[in-house]
Amino acid sequence: MHEASIALSVLEIAVDSCRKAGYNRIESIRLKIGRASGIMIDALLFAFNAVKADTIAAEASVIIDEIAVSGLCSSCDKDFVTEEKYVLCCPECSSASFNIKTGRELEIIDMEVF
Amino acid sequence: MKVEVVTRILEANERIAAENRRLFDKATVYVINLMSGPGAGKTSLLERTIKELNGKIKTAVIEGDIAGTSDAERIGSLGVPVIQINTGGACHLDANMINEVLESLPLKETDLLFVENIGNLVCPAEFNIGEDMKAMVLSITEGDDKPLKYPLMFQESSALILNKIDLLPYTNASVEKIRKDAMSLNPSLKIFEVSCKTGKGIAEWAEWLTEKVKS
Ligand SMILES: Nc1nc2c(ncn2[C@@H]2O[C@H](COP(=O)(O)OP(=O)(O)O)[C@@H](O)[C@H]2O)c(=O)[nH]1
Ligand SMILES: [Mg+2]
Repeated sequence: MHEASIALSVLEIAVDSCRKAGYNRIESIRLKIGRASGIMIDALLFAFNAVKADTIAAEASVIIDEIAVSGLCSSCDKDFVTEEKYVLCCPECSSASFNIKTGRELEIIDMEVF
Repeated sequence: MKVEVVTRILEANERIAAENRRLFDKATVYVINLMSGPGAGKTSLLERTIKELNGKIKTAVIEGDIAGTSDAERIGSLGVPVIQINTGGACHLDANMINEVLESLPLKETDLLFVENIGNLVCPAEFNIGEDMKAMVLSITEGDDKPLKYPLMFQESSALILNKIDLLPYTNASVEKIRKDAMSLNPSLKIFEVSCKTGKGIAEWAEWLTEKVKS
């Protein structure tokens, strides 16, 4: 629901990192987004296209690596990966005590600049 | 040319949340981030709780709403320091919005600061503001399917205040189902059944809060 403010943060971080590296045009930005991050990718891309206008990222495309939700169950001690956005209980043994390992990422990985 | 960035997109928020945390620790204020869907009874709970704690614990309130000042007026009439934040559309409070108003609050004279977040069962749970504890209100009239439909807030909260329990006879909601589903999401969740209309359950909740603040 707050994809617009996330898009603005992405833009700020990207523009800043580009300038710091001594370049002034961004060609593409690669993001890592976990499926349990609460972010709707379509809405994020839409918002990014709106905020990038008139900046050094105006031509930039966004590439997204979607990360599945995974965890380790404390009851049966098994690792799991799921297609679901949220894990309510361990898919193996149904226990509610587990630790999420991946799926909540919201990161900028790298960018192509020139 | 490739540039490595590897930055968490919410890093700026985390940084400011840590700065808030430092200010709260310095003034020894316990901070509760109070969340719920719209109309679940956050402001009503604050009114009841503040009256119950009256004299024993010094409270202050930050009111978050998309627009309007009516909640701050309700709290202000109890004689408690209160600041209204209007987000103008944003669906949650973030650490920076809190940071900007802290100067206007008498933190040194405050034991317990309540932050009433924007009415929304989703986004507020994703942004830390530097709080000691997240707590949420669910009103019985919202239905007993909410824990499994909006799991994150139930997972992030330390306390669930199940409000409007006076209306239970008029709904088909099951308190047992809410308890069971919420506990399956978060086994350490502390659940209080209250009515801000009749005052039922408020004393237990206030007592538990007092222990948290004093410890
Ligand atoms: N019957 C009943 N109504 C309540 C209770 N708590 C709050 N309300 C009503 O619910 C509405 C929304 O309450 P409010 O505190 O403004 O909710 P907020 O939006 O979460 O701050 C108001 O009309 C309150 O009077 C309760 O325990 N029982
Ligand atoms: Mg309110």
